[in-house]
Amino acid sequence: MADAIQKKLKAELEKYSQVQKDVSKSMSVRQKLETQLTENNIVKEELDLLDSSNTIYKLIGPVLVKQDLDEAKATVTKRLEYINGEIQRYETLLKDMEKRADDHREVLTSLQQELHKAQGRTGGKI
Amino acid sequence: MPRGPPIRPPAKASPPAAAAPFPEPFTAVLICWLADNSQQSFMTSSTRGAMLKVVKDCDSRIQHWTKVSGDYDALSDRLKTLPDRLSYDIMVPFGPLAFTPGKLVRTNEVTVLLGDNWFAKCSAKQAQAVVDHRMKHVKKELDDLAKTRKNFEARVGLAKDLETMSANKGQFVDIREEVTSSTASKGKQRIAHKPNSKPKLDVVVDLNEEEEEKEGGTGAMTEEELWRRLDELERLEELQDEQDRLSDTADTNGDDSSSSSSEEEKEAACAPPVNGLSLKPGWSPAPHSDPPLPDRKAEDDDDEQEEEGSRLPTIFFSHTVEPKKVRINTGKNTTLKFSERKEQKEHSKRKKKNGNGHAHHELHKITSPADVYRLFVDVRNGEPVPRKSILKSRSRENSVCSDTSESSAADFEERRVTGRSFSHDEATHSDTSDGVTEEDSPTAVPLLSRFEAFSGTVIEKDPMPTGVPHLTILPPALPTIPERKQEEVASDVTPPPEASKRLSKFKAARLQQK
Repeated sequence: MADAIQKKLKAELEKYSQVQKDVSKSMSVRQKLETQLTENNIVKEELDLLDSSNTIYKLIGPVLVKQDLDEAKATVTKRLEYINGEIQRYETLLKDMEKRADDHREVLTSLQQELHKAQGRTGGKI
Repeated sequence: MPRGPPIRPPAKASPPAAAAPFPEPFTAVLICWLADNSQQSFMTSSTRGAMLKVVKDCDSRIQHWTKVSGDYDALSDRLKTLPDRLSYDIMVPFGPLAFTPGKLVRTNEVTVLLGDNWFAKCSAKQAQAVVDHRMKHVKKELDDLAKTRKNFEARVGLAKDLETMSANKGQFVDIREEVTSSTASKGKQRIAHKPNSKPKLDVVVDLNEEEEEKEGGTGAMTEEELWRRLDELERLEELQDEQDRLSDTADTNGDDSSSSSSEEEKEAACAPPVNGLSLKPGWSPAPHSDPPLPDRKAEDDDDEQEEEGSRLPTIFFSHTVEPKKVRINTGKNTTLKFSERKEQKEHSKRKKKNGNGHAHHELHKITSPADVYRLFVDVRNGEPVPRKSILKSRSRENSVCSDTSESSAADFEERRVTGRSFSHDEATHSDTSDGVTEEDSPTAVPLLSRFEAFSGTVIEKDPMPTGVPHLTILPPALPTIPERKQEEVASDVTPPPEASKRLSKFKAARLQQK
């Protein structure tokens, strides 16, 4: 009886750790996105400071490619929107995963309790 | 010489510039993460270690940002001086290990890394503008970090305090009050154990605070005992109600503790007649005084122990209540003595005798200042005479009265009021000779006492009639106020009725409203 519970506990524990890993992964991705978000905001503001007399380059690999100011601005804005969307998506994902983790945690605690009880019973029998 | 590596001047500009965009946003994110994590860590562990870690984190970030800020300052200076000359002779780094002499040309053209792999060719001045814009960001980050750090330092301090408190090293003192079953027995049985079997609403309501205090003692009795006790108390309450009707409504409201004390009083008053019930012997008769609070917190309680700290220094208070004794040292070597015990006995006797004096107590409810004048009257020859102002009395300074507790000051007032009404009574002061008037006024007086705005022990002093028994007040712990009238406090007879009916005015008003 106790063994069965223990097996169940182990399985549950693995599932829980998996979910936790996913959670942390999503968290890090989200953080990266936040970084990019801030950065692109700064780029946008600085582009506003410049005028068309300045040539703008984009670094693609080892190459600096000339860009138009307006094009650059548009690109940066689009990228900003994209990043925001990604952040939203990851946030929902994160919430969902956290909920799942909580469920797993609850199952784990209940299983642990059962295990204690079973062990207590077996100990009492002995 | 070919144009010096065009990257160089920009390179000078860009590493700090490159350094900046990445760390800035990165740090911004880190701050969010930090806040989240630290919040979580606070929730989960809230230990001093965790707090300190967070603070250290904050410190390192602050360090990083200050470095960045320094870099940008240097860059700004360089940009200012760069266009001064058309070209500079410099030693150009050639790989990681060599330099080569070269020239720095096109000093006004700066390629600026805007972030996210975007570059812009700008003049030195435009680059300067970009740098300023970035500096704003850096400053903002620094401020945020400083704030966070301060917050967490505060939390660390709190955690440290908790730690020292639990470790019994600090000067925190745990003040505990032992709730013995004897003291607890009275109140807690009034808890409604079943939803529909509340004994009496007002009683339960009033005793709420007491119940909470005394809940600790509940464990001592089994449930059945509790039920039996409940029944007993219900019977007691019925008795009480009869007596309540005699002296109920005029009482004003007090705070809950006072009202609870009134409940105790009622119980205590019933205690003598129903001694057959299993009242715990340890419960001394309830004080016929206003709040039991002063008694609870009185310094002269029996069971007080200091520094009995298990882990914390603790001060144990118990609210055994000693019956009050009051001794007024009026001038001319006379003293008035008042003993609570005597009064309780007399009052219980009186209560039994008392008929239905309920109606006239209505008169004594004070709702306006005018009522004060109406109530506080002397009864001379059967006629109510408005009282003289205390400021006009003579020989205030002669006698000194002292009291065991604040509440007895209230008692004093009662006695004074009563005394006045008796000041010209001819009757000898004894139980049996109490006329109806005496019964009425004493019962009225305790109610009046609650309306006293001034709870000091001011008593008028008149030459004391020889037939008046003396009241005694024990040497005080409290400052004394010259008394006015000795004969106010004269009779042993008069205090008992007042003493027993020490309903706080708040409770009384509440009861009356009900």
